[in-house]
Amino acid sequence: MTDPLVGDVLLTRPPFFVIGALLGLTVVGVLATLNQQLGALGGYSAVFERASGRTRALGWKAWFLLGIFAGALIFRLLAGGTTAGEGYGWLTRTFADDWVVGPLLLVGGALIGFGAKTAGGCTSGNGICGTALGSAASFVATATFMAVAVGVTFFIDLVIA
Amino acid sequence: MKGALASRVAAVGFGAVFGFAISWGQFTDPDRLREMLLLEDPYLYLMMVTAVTLGFVGVRLLRRLRVRALLTGTPVAWTTTRPEPRHVAGAAIFGVGWAMTDSCPAPIAGQLAQGVAWSLFTIAGVLVGIGLFFRRQERSQANAR
Repeated sequence: MTDPLVGDVLLTRPPFFVIGALLGLTVVGVLATLNQQLGALGGYSAVFERASGRTRALGWKAWFLLGIFAGALIFRLLAGGTTAGEGYGWLTRTFADDWVVGPLLLVGGALIGFGAKTAGGCTSGNGICGTALGSAASFVATATFMAVAVGVTFFIDLVIA
Repeated sequence: MKGALASRVAAVGFGAVFGFAISWGQFTDPDRLREMLLLEDPYLYLMMVTAVTLGFVGVRLLRRLRVRALLTGTPVAWTTTRPEPRHVAGAAIFGVGWAMTDSCPAPIAGQLAQGVAWSLFTIAGVLVGIGLFFRRQERSQANAR
């Protein structure tokens, strides 16, 4: 059973610095414990590389990704509700047909996977960890994907309006 | 073997903190992400600045204090990379996918855990994208030989 008080706290977005501190400390903790640089995309890549026989051992980032799943599941159980919204954002509001939404998410996901792999990381790997470590490539990648994502979101907003 | 198990447990533990935090910060909600990308809500940017600042100071403190990593016993160290064209090209492609889905690799795992079945499409797409990356990389390596 979910404690209503816990549910209220978890379903209310905390100040930005609370989440920022948790993620920043995770970067420091992973380095202090495993001497590794974290990134969520690396988890998917580790699973892919193991499943396709490119590596014989499952990379540690796959376990990190499993942890992300587990952490979100624990959150969901403790909160007694979701923080994932209704339907799927602008996609399910704009397209009534599920046969449009699914393929668009698939294509979007492929761009995320291919693009982030090429850039050497995603929002967590480049945007949070790489920049904290002072990697110039991560600053360039982060500035690029932020600017492009903002530009494309404004474009989508214009088109669907 | 014992060390490998401890490393896996630690990786799952740190991942769990990460997954819990992004769920609490509502980064699992595509509409929240969209508001941030439409510059209506500064939360994402302020959160990232906090995380990066704290991480920046924290990892340098570890190095300054010559800390050895708890499970590997090796001195804390990391590598940095100089920018190359692939960082811009790849990040631009990633940015388009991020804007289309209003999500990225960590939040889609969080969405799945929170019961959003749509995220299965995005996850499948990410794996396809990674596959295309390796195919392209292996093809260009074969051509170079």
